[in-house]
Amino acid sequence: MTKIDIYSGFLGAGKTTLIKKLLQEAYQGQKLVLIENEFGEIGIDGGFLQDAGINIREMNSGCICCSLVGDFGKALTQVIADYHPDRIVIEPSGVGKLSDVVGAVNKVTGEDVTLGYTVAVVDAGKVKSYSKNFGEFYNNQVQTASTIILSRTDAIPQDKLDKAVELLRELNPQATIVTTPWNALTGAQIVEAMEGKATLAAELAQMEQEHHHHHHDHEEDCGCGHHHDHDHEEGCGCGHHHHDHEEGCGCGHHHHHDHEEGCGCGHHHHDHHADEVFTSWGVETARKFTKEQITQALEALDSGKYGTVLRAKGIVEAQDGTWIHFDHVPQEADVRTGSAAITGKVCVIGAQLNEAEIAALFGV
Amino acid sequence: MTQIPVYTFTGFLDSGKTKFIQETLEDPRFNGGERTLLLVFEEGEEEYDFSTYPHKNVYLEVLDQQTVEPKTLQALAKKYKAQRIVAELNGMQMVGDLYSRFPEEWVVAQEVMFADSTTIMTYNANMRNLVMDKLVGAQMVVFNRVTPGADTLPLHKLARAANRRIDILYDYTDGTTAFDELQDPLPFDINAPVIEIKDEDYALWYRDVTEEPQKYAGKTVRFKGQVAMLRRDRNTMFAPGRFVMTCCEADIEFFGVPCRYPNSRELKPRSWVMVEATVTAEKHAVYQNELGPVLTAIRVEPANPADPEVATF
Repeated sequence: MTKIDIYSGFLGAGKTTLIKKLLQEAYQGQKLVLIENEFGEIGIDGGFLQDAGINIREMNSGCICCSLVGDFGKALTQVIADYHPDRIVIEPSGVGKLSDVVGAVNKVTGEDVTLGYTVAVVDAGKVKSYSKNFGEFYNNQVQTASTIILSRTDAIPQDKLDKAVELLRELNPQATIVTTPWNALTGAQIVEAMEGKATLAAELAQMEQEHHHHHHDHEEDCGCGHHHDHDHEEGCGCGHHHHDHEEGCGCGHHHHHDHEEGCGCGHHHHDHHADEVFTSWGVETARKFTKEQITQALEALDSGKYGTVLRAKGIVEAQDGTWIHFDHVPQEADVRTGSAAITGKVCVIGAQLNEAEIAALFGV
Repeated sequence: MTQIPVYTFTGFLDSGKTKFIQETLEDPRFNGGERTLLLVFEEGEEEYDFSTYPHKNVYLEVLDQQTVEPKTLQALAKKYKAQRIVAELNGMQMVGDLYSRFPEEWVVAQEVMFADSTTIMTYNANMRNLVMDKLVGAQMVVFNRVTPGADTLPLHKLARAANRRIDILYDYTDGTTAFDELQDPLPFDINAPVIEIKDEDYALWYRDVTEEPQKYAGKTVRFKGQVAMLRRDRNTMFAPGRFVMTCCEADIEFFGVPCRYPNSRELKPRSWVMVEATVTAEKHAVYQNELGPVLTAIRVEPANPADPEVATF
């Protein structure tokens, strides 16, 4: 089985640096062929590749005037036949369209060959001017990629970074966007992002599931006099799987309704479960915070002004370059320093959430 | 119709075009109050600040280089009663494509290219056609962000390989500038009784002789080439030449020179010949009836193919 990963991005965006990091930290142990279709400033050093058992193939038609597709498809087929690699990593020409490369790859995919990650490496400081002046091929890279990895995010002012992320979001609402400086991330974290496991949606779904368990852990508050805790672990006997919530309905209604129909415990849950009609709100942000700001914001969430907040959770970058992890349930906030994430995330679950006010509270 | 001079500034994003134009328009020697239409086909990081200009009749318009129409350009010149045009071009577009859409009365007075010395070699390696496009037409190239003491020879070679007559200015990071004074002697002696063109120098010679045919008038040359026939005259003329690659395989073109030869009918197209001929400068259909080199054969003999067959600069 061969997976083909494509790292597009304009000249100087940092494709080679990123690939090198991933070769060292994330791709080890795989039989890998690297196809370079660009003449970069930083060559990947051959000795290192040999030690790692990586084959490197350069394709010398690296300029915009050459047609990529014909020869490229042939070369790919040849590489697969010759090496049967686990991975083929392609660094295409920086001035080509990613969709063309994906198109060429799709011609050779089949039972044993699949398209892996499609990445656009983007210099954070150049997003606006490149997007405006380069037009088609640049925007195509951003729009086609399933993961956008920003480089040099620590070299530009915050508002410029925010605008860059906003512009990329407009061009590609679906992609995972990595805004954290690479040296703060492990190769594994970047792979997780490329596999689509580090999205906001995934985060919220997990939190909703946790909330559900969390809720039932606080049986003493429920007042129904029954110990649901255990039941729920095994399946609460109501015949419904609570982790349905994971699938992301978010409305809480089905579950609620199911219980009304009779979960078998003989109690009406809805009277103490008003909070179960919860909504979840989340945002990704490259903004930097201080612990004080986060603590104050979390305290403010308890005021009632923002709706009934059941839980707030997130990871954001601190102004000093460290990362703040927070987890908040009413009257109880845990704010600590932890490891970096691919981008900042703030998630809130509650009822009648005033989302605009919450966004303003966190300045996102 | 009154001609309108156009000053064009080419080069990639972040190469310093806007900054230079801004400073030029601040300079009373250039901005003496002429009504100037400033056309911007690329909006980078730098922005224009009109407040510092000695004369304010500068009119800025931002346009899309790919789609702009001649009548739009003409209308703008009329609207502002422009006496001259200053244009900042988009680095990712071909200069000639825009020129072909300039109104007839617009005449390019000067074309200057800007290049960031820290990125231009990588750009050249990956999009050589776009780099060549800018170098070929410019009278001057400014290589900026050069570290004092850095080796400028690769930059010199890059520029002069594309354009033998281009002026080169180095703009150093310490604020100083210096013109490139290096001479590039031609690799053949144009004062020899017979100018011998080595196989590897054909492309260079072809460019020189077509740029300055008068320089070769009355001289005799000897070179190896392939036979091509001229569409209009197969009986008394042929066009020996070579396939020349500027950038990569996709742009290989045949560069031949028309040559009078009474036995041209006997020549086999594409066969290799050694040609000795005298040069005159004449108007010819091959040069769109402009002046160009035309040969008169003294000797045409079969020859072995050049190795490699495709010529490069």
